[in-house]
Amino acid sequence: MADSIAFPVRAEPRAISLSTIPWYLWVSVIGVTSAMIGVHWDISWHRSIGRDTFWTPPHMAIYLCGVIAGIWSAYLILATTFGRLPAVRASSVRMWGFHGPLGAFVTAWGGVAMLVSAPFDDWWHNAYGLDVKILSPPHMVLAAGILAIEIGALMLVLGYMNRAQGDERLRLSWLYLYLGSMIVVVLQILAMEHTSHVQQHSAWFYISVAIAVPTSLIGVAIASDRRWSATIVASVYMLFTASLIWILPLFPAQPKLGPVLNPVSQFIPPDFPLLLIVPAIAIDLLRPRLRASNRWLQAGVLGSVFFVVFLAVQWAFAYFLMTLAAANAFFGTMYRDYANPSDSYEALSMFMPPESNFWALMGIAWLTAIVTSRIGVGWGEWMRTVKR
Amino acid sequence: MMRGALLVAWTAACAYAHVGSPDVFLEGSAGPYPMYVTIRPPSVIPGVAEIEIRCASPDIQAIHVTPTPLTGAAAEFAPTPDALQRSKADAQFFTGTLWMMAPGSWQVRIQADGAKGAGQLSVPVPAVATRAKPMQFALGATLFVMMMVLAVGLVSIVGAGVREGQLEPGMQATTRSKRRARILMGATAALVILILWSGNSWWTAEASDFAGNLYRPLQMTASIVNTSAAPNERLVLTLANPAWSVPRKIDDFLPDHGHLMHLYMIRQPDAARVWHLHPEMTASGVFTLALPPIPAGQYQLYGDVVHRDGLAETMVANLTVPRDLAGTPLGGDDAAGVRGESPDGAHIVWDRDPAPPKARQAGVFKFRLVDRDGAPVQDAELYMGMLGHAAFLKNDGTVFAHVHPSGSVPMAALALANPAAGEDHSMHHMSGLPPEADFPYGFPTPGDYRVIVQMKHGGIIETGIFDAKVD
Repeated sequence: MADSIAFPVRAEPRAISLSTIPWYLWVSVIGVTSAMIGVHWDISWHRSIGRDTFWTPPHMAIYLCGVIAGIWSAYLILATTFGRLPAVRASSVRMWGFHGPLGAFVTAWGGVAMLVSAPFDDWWHNAYGLDVKILSPPHMVLAAGILAIEIGALMLVLGYMNRAQGDERLRLSWLYLYLGSMIVVVLQILAMEHTSHVQQHSAWFYISVAIAVPTSLIGVAIASDRRWSATIVASVYMLFTASLIWILPLFPAQPKLGPVLNPVSQFIPPDFPLLLIVPAIAIDLLRPRLRASNRWLQAGVLGSVFFVVFLAVQWAFAYFLMTLAAANAFFGTMYRDYANPSDSYEALSMFMPPESNFWALMGIAWLTAIVTSRIGVGWGEWMRTVKR
Repeated sequence: MMRGALLVAWTAACAYAHVGSPDVFLEGSAGPYPMYVTIRPPSVIPGVAEIEIRCASPDIQAIHVTPTPLTGAAAEFAPTPDALQRSKADAQFFTGTLWMMAPGSWQVRIQADGAKGAGQLSVPVPAVATRAKPMQFALGATLFVMMMVLAVGLVSIVGAGVREGQLEPGMQATTRSKRRARILMGATAALVILILWSGNSWWTAEASDFAGNLYRPLQMTASIVNTSAAPNERLVLTLANPAWSVPRKIDDFLPDHGHLMHLYMIRQPDAARVWHLHPEMTASGVFTLALPPIPAGQYQLYGDVVHRDGLAETMVANLTVPRDLAGTPLGGDDAAGVRGESPDGAHIVWDRDPAPPKARQAGVFKFRLVDRDGAPVQDAELYMGMLGHAAFLKNDGTVFAHVHPSGSVPMAALALANPAAGEDHSMHHMSGLPPEADFPYGFPTPGDYRVIVQMKHGGIIETGIFDAKVD
């Protein structure tokens, strides 16, 4: 049969030894971390120094992720296909004649996407100019590659976690939640152009967050056994992002590109992280009560709760971020990139004015949160059952 | 009062500072260090410009360059300077690259350090996007194949995941999971097609946005009108401002060696007659001039202006003169020339290099003004503050550059970039002038060119029209 597993199989459910976490799980986590540090560092580089080449340290950190992903996914797929890992082969999927864990195929896809994005991005810069924004078609290919590598690593850990028991499962669940938080980080980066603190009283900010966050936060949480999984994911995201505020400005940097509209003497960090921990706690409190409910009902409740709680908390917090009390090394609202003019909203500590159709857009944001929550619920429930 | 226009005809071509000649050539001094600077701006903005500097003396130890906008707040905060590389083969030759991130009027600040201390020179450079680079076939084909691999790969991964992802180790896919996999693969394929379609739409929109950023020169419409004070026909040039991402005006021009516009009127198709005229701005965006005597025919007009921010533009128009015009005698700095003719027998000689000039190679073109016997004229004068003016014109009309002995940079922009150096870099107060003029320039492309040179002596402006074949 074309679709069946075409080699003699030994039925050995739960017989895989997990006494130690395999090296490729660790390196996948290292690779993903490297990419997330690299992307944030690269954005900071563009905001502080401006000029780059392919060989800048942040680019190396990003592409290290691709190299690591390529190595471990190729190893797993080839070793599984050619019989070097019989235990893995028994818990593998088949694609294009190759065998391997599902996560390895997803990661390999991400590695190829990253590879493709490089010449595409290079041509794009030659045709339309050098990097001036995050959202561009070649950057989306790169982002899809990084996201796929993260999801692939998550799937790989998930396959092991869902087959494991006891302490092993507990240990793997930490890796799993860490990788889940890195997915929240990368999606947050994609929304970054719409989520600075001066935009947090605009509807597009809430639409951006509703697109970027619920699927990953709720999906990852639902597939985990842990009571406070969403809270853990949101906490790691916040700690990761906040640590960039605390660390990046310690290093000197000077603009190497004009026009320089604002003198800069150190690396410019990202905005203070969104207070996702609060809606995450609400989601974790509600999840056990909703487990038996219809998926759309779960999505309606979780999406609405996420939207309302996040709106309440972030709206108020944004007021605080506008005050002098937030202009310090902890909250970092005083950092402005070299191209930020003296009459910008950031320089003036003013909110961008709300859209003329603010309430209609907020309605769209709310519905978006429900839809992305529904995707998260479906994805999370599927992930609970992934064993390969 | 104007009465009906005799005729109106105009075209606009891609132009900035000059037409089809984007590279900047300047002979100047960074303090005590004379140097010849060549800057090749990028054709895409943001992009990377190339810079070459040939120093006249060997005592420069280091050269640093900094690109900044010429005016405004960003001119105050310079980015970190970059050191140029000294050639290993030629210690007086330096090269490097510069990043220009925004379109508009820029300058490159050159800082030279050496045995005689430090010196500075700022070179105005227009930063404009002039083209969109097409994708090479090989790259396009490779990316298309990889896109298909990724698209099919994504569908296959979803199929594999749904078919086998939830199976216990060792178990085989069931008929149900296979059917479900096929359904989801179909849905994924539809989603992939939607994503590709959206991506293509996005790309198209970005390309369209970029096309809006491409430089579009000010448009110039030329017409000839009679005035009540006949027989004085007047040339009327009306400017229009086509949409471009950089804000600009049609009446914010700086005087460039005394005139808001320098207009070359060149007879077509032989370029055997040329007028160098200076219309006055009589209303916002309207320049007028009492036309000199002109025979009927087709003429190409090139009008040079410099905006208040230092951005220089060359506007192009065609003019048809339907009949011989009696016109008004030339006066002031206005001049006319006919190929092979001279008002008094004096003429301009081009001291050419034996080898023909090469495209994209910076050089210095040397001319001498001699009397009818071939001896240097003894009464050389400055023409608009300079030893001479030159125009380099490609016969197919794709190149026009108005160049001075200091180079291709307009004097008004140079004065803006180097305020401490005085009002401009011309030579109003010199005496005992040599009857020679050297023009730093490089032809942008191979082909046949006309070189029009004007020099002055004893109150007479001489015009020399030469042919040049560029390899």
